[in-house]
Amino acid sequence: MSDMSRPGVIHDLGYRHYDGLREGTPAIARTLFVTGLRHVYGLGRSGKSKVMPFLLLAMSVLPALIVVGVVVLTGLDSLPVSYADYTNQTQLLVSLFAAAQAPVLFSRDLRHRSIVLYLARPLSAPVFAVMRWLSLTVALWLFMAVPTLMLFIGAMLSGLDKSDQVTQLLKAVVLQTLLALLIAGITGLISSVSLRRGFAVVGSVMALIVLTGVVTAVQAIAAEQDADSASTTAGLFSPWSLYSGLANAWDAGIDTFVPVDGAWAVAYALVALLLAAACLLALVARFRKVGSR
Amino acid sequence: MISPGEPVRTVFNPTIAKLALQALLGRRRFYLLLAFPVLLIGLVTLITVLADGDAAFEILPGLGYPLVLPLVAILAASSVLGPEVDDGSIVYLLSKPVSRYGVAISKWVVALGATLTAGALPILVAALITGDSTRALGLFVGAVVAGTTYSALFLAISAVTRHAVIASLMFVLIWESLLGNLFTGIAWLSIGQWGLRIGHEISSELPDPANLGYAIIASLLVTVVGVWFAGDRLRSFTLRGDE
Repeated sequence: MSDMSRPGVIHDLGYRHYDGLREGTPAIARTLFVTGLRHVYGLGRSGKSKVMPFLLLAMSVLPALIVVGVVVLTGLDSLPVSYADYTNQTQLLVSLFAAAQAPVLFSRDLRHRSIVLYLARPLSAPVFAVMRWLSLTVALWLFMAVPTLMLFIGAMLSGLDKSDQVTQLLKAVVLQTLLALLIAGITGLISSVSLRRGFAVVGSVMALIVLTGVVTAVQAIAAEQDADSASTTAGLFSPWSLYSGLANAWDAGIDTFVPVDGAWAVAYALVALLLAAACLLALVARFRKVGSR
Repeated sequence: MISPGEPVRTVFNPTIAKLALQALLGRRRFYLLLAFPVLLIGLVTLITVLADGDAAFEILPGLGYPLVLPLVAILAASSVLGPEVDDGSIVYLLSKPVSRYGVAISKWVVALGATLTAGALPILVAALITGDSTRALGLFVGAVVAGTTYSALFLAISAVTRHAVIASLMFVLIWESLLGNLFTGIAWLSIGQWGLRIGHEISSELPDPANLGYAIIASLLVTVVGVWFAGDRLRSFTLRGDE
C-alpha cells in the first residue's frame, strides 16, 4: 500500500525504480514479529545460538515424555501431574529460557545501536517495543505449550477421560498465556535496561528465580505460623507465585500453601494483569527514549 | 608472545587485579552485587523477628547457600572477564607481555574476594542472626570452600564461552539443585555439597553427603584446574564476532 504521507520509504537512489506494492507499517511490524520469534529459538542465526534454546526445550519436554510413558505402561486413570502443574514444576527451565533469550531480542539492538536502523523505517519506537515483546511472549508460550501438548497427546492416546482433560488443558493454556505475558515483560524490561548479556541474565534470574525462592520461603513460614492471609499476600510478589495462586484458585491442579479463594483470586488476577501492563508500558517508554536519541 | 626479551613472569599482577576490581565495582554491577547480601540478611532478620531463629535458618541451606552464593560467584567471575571478552578489549590486555596464567590468577583473586565478601560473609552474618554460632561457623566454612571452588570453575567457563553466565547457571540450577535433589549421587559431583561436607566437621547440623577427604581433594582440584584452565584458554585465545 503506497503511503502518501511518507514517500520514499524504499529509498530512491536513482537506480532502477521500484513500481511494486509498497507495504506499510503493519507489514514491517509483522515481519519484525516473525523474525523476533525465530531469533528467540536461534532460527536464522548461527548454529551455536540454537544450542541453548533447544537444549532447554529438550530438557523441558523429556519429563513429559517420561510421564506419558509411565501413564501408558502402568495404565493410570489420570495424569500424575496436571498440565498447569507441569509448567510450575519445570519453572526453573522456563525462567532460564526467558533469562537467556530475552537479551537476544532486547539487548543486542540497543548495545550495537542497530536500533537506529530499525527506527529509520516508518516504524515507531513503541510499535517496535510491542512487537519485540509479542515475539518473546509467543516464544515463551510455545516453550510451555510444547510439553503440555505432549502430555495431552499422551493422555488422549492412553484413553483418559476426554472432556476432563480438555478442560484442564484449556485452563493451563490460559494461565500459561498470562504467565508468558508477565515473564516476557519482566525479562524484556531488564534486558533493555542492562545491556551486557551477563548482567541482564543475572538480573532476570534474580527477578524470576531468586524472588520466587524468597516468596516461597516466606509463604511456607507464614503458613506454618498460621498467618494464612500473610502467606497469600506474599504470593502477590513473584510471577510464579501469581501463576500457581491463580491456578489454585481456578482449580487447575496446583497446590499452594494456603488455598487462594474468593476475593484473593480477583486480587491475584488484577496484580498479574497490572504487572504485565506496567512492564509493557515501561518497555515502550524505554524504547521511546532510546529511539529519540 | 612475540616480544623482545623474556615475558614478565609474575604470578599475581596488581595492575590487572586493580582493573578487574574497577570492572567489578562499576556503577550498576556494584548495586546488583550489593543486592544479594542485603536481600539475604534482610529476609533472615525479618523472619527471625516474625517467627523464630530456627525457621529463619532454613532459608540459608534452602536459598542462601545453594542459590545466592553461586549467583554471586557467577556475577563476580563473569564481570572480571566477561565484558572484556564481550567487547573485544581483551586483545589489548593479551598483547602485553604478561603471563596468561598471571592474568587468570589476578582476575580470579578479585572474583574470589568479591564472592567471599558478597556471598560467604552475608551467609555468616545471616546465620549468626538466627542464633547458634557453631552452626553459623560451619555454614560459613562451607560457603568459603564452595565460594572458592565456584569462582574458579566459573572463571574457567567465562574464558571458554560467551554464554558463560547461562552455562554456569545451568550447572548450578539444573545440575546441582534440580538433579541434585532427585539423585543423591550427584553430591559427589556437586561443589555446594563438598562445601557442606567440610562444614559438617564443625557443625553436625549440616548434612554429610560425601566423604570428607574426597570433598577436600575435589574442591582443591577443581579450584586449581579451573584457574589453570582459564589461563590456558587465554593463552590460545581467539576472538570471535558476536553470535
